[in-house]
Amino acid sequence: MQNTPEDLGRRIRDAQEKQARQEGQNPADGSSKENTASALRLATDLVAALFVGGFLGYGLDRWLGTKPWFMVVFLFLGFAAGFMSIYKSQTGAASGIGFKPTDKKD
Amino acid sequence: MAGSPLEQFVIKPIVPLSVGGIDLSFTQSALWMAFAVIAATLVMTLGMRNRAMVPGRMQNVPEMLYEFVFGMARDNLGAETRKYFPFVFSIFMIVLMGNLLGMVPYSFTFTSHIIVTGALALLVFLTATAVGFIRHGLHFFSFFLPKGLPIALAPLVIIIEVVSYLSRPISLSVRLFANMLAGHTMLKVFAGFSVMLAGSAIGIAVGILPLIINVALIGLEIMIAFIQAYVFATLTCLYLKDAIELHH
Repeated sequence: MQNTPEDLGRRIRDAQEKQARQEGQNPADGSSKENTASALRLATDLVAALFVGGFLGYGLDRWLGTKPWFMVVFLFLGFAAGFMSIYKSQTGAASGIGFKPTDKKD
Repeated sequence: MAGSPLEQFVIKPIVPLSVGGIDLSFTQSALWMAFAVIAATLVMTLGMRNRAMVPGRMQNVPEMLYEFVFGMARDNLGAETRKYFPFVFSIFMIVLMGNLLGMVPYSFTFTSHIIVTGALALLVFLTATAVGFIRHGLHFFSFFLPKGLPIALAPLVIIIEVVSYLSRPISLSVRLFANMLAGHTMLKVFAGFSVMLAGSAIGIAVGILPLIINVALIGLEIMIAFIQAYVFATLTCLYLKDAIELHH
């Protein structure tokens, strides 16, 4: 009696329900990889923006002979840029533009 | 004694070649890049050779890789996924194979060199920028001016946005390179402890400890190899998405 189509159908349904229940209990499972990935992004994002800011400032100083003012200003701007990209990546505005979460409807 | 833990990163030419004063030698780095391409091709083609409806072990590997990356790309690129997927998947496979082949003893990890990751990151960055300009023309510059921004703040925010945009390839390349470099250096340092301790009987007993740590570290490194390839591909998709969906 094990192999009637009805029996098989019932077993498939049971298995599917069981799987759905297990997945429901662990909603973090699917996104944990993404969370790890996004955590690994943060540190380098901050440092890279700071580096680019400093480098741009240094270049402008060399070009305009205004040592060290552009470098000071651009280091702060780089710091701001780093924090902004972290903020945007965490608020779901992701890569998007501007400070607000992008509203896709308009 | 194996020498410095950084010795593993030295580039050694296999076929020396110099054209017009430029060193074009075929190095072990290039050799392992070629291996990575061959390995990626073999995994995909041999695995899919049977095209079975119910995949076997070998077919499961390429199918899982494909679906994994495709799902991630679709979340970001939506209807445009198919157009850009070959690019994203190629990037993912070369980084993944570079990282994983680097875990083979006596191999060379080409992703631990910033010149390699930098070239890959620049490729991604320039492609995304080119896509942005092709699709939106000069309108692409509005990317740097957030919508609804008070005009008094515009000069400041535009500079910050430009710095943030330019930091993308650096962040992308440094992340991969630093992870690989640090991981492989750490493995060598712990292996070095074991070798140094092996001189005496007590040393051999204590020297087991770094060996055990190294076993765990290798597991960690294999996980990092996957995660870094995934991060690289995810960010490729994000940058392409930015270039495609420009908000007006």
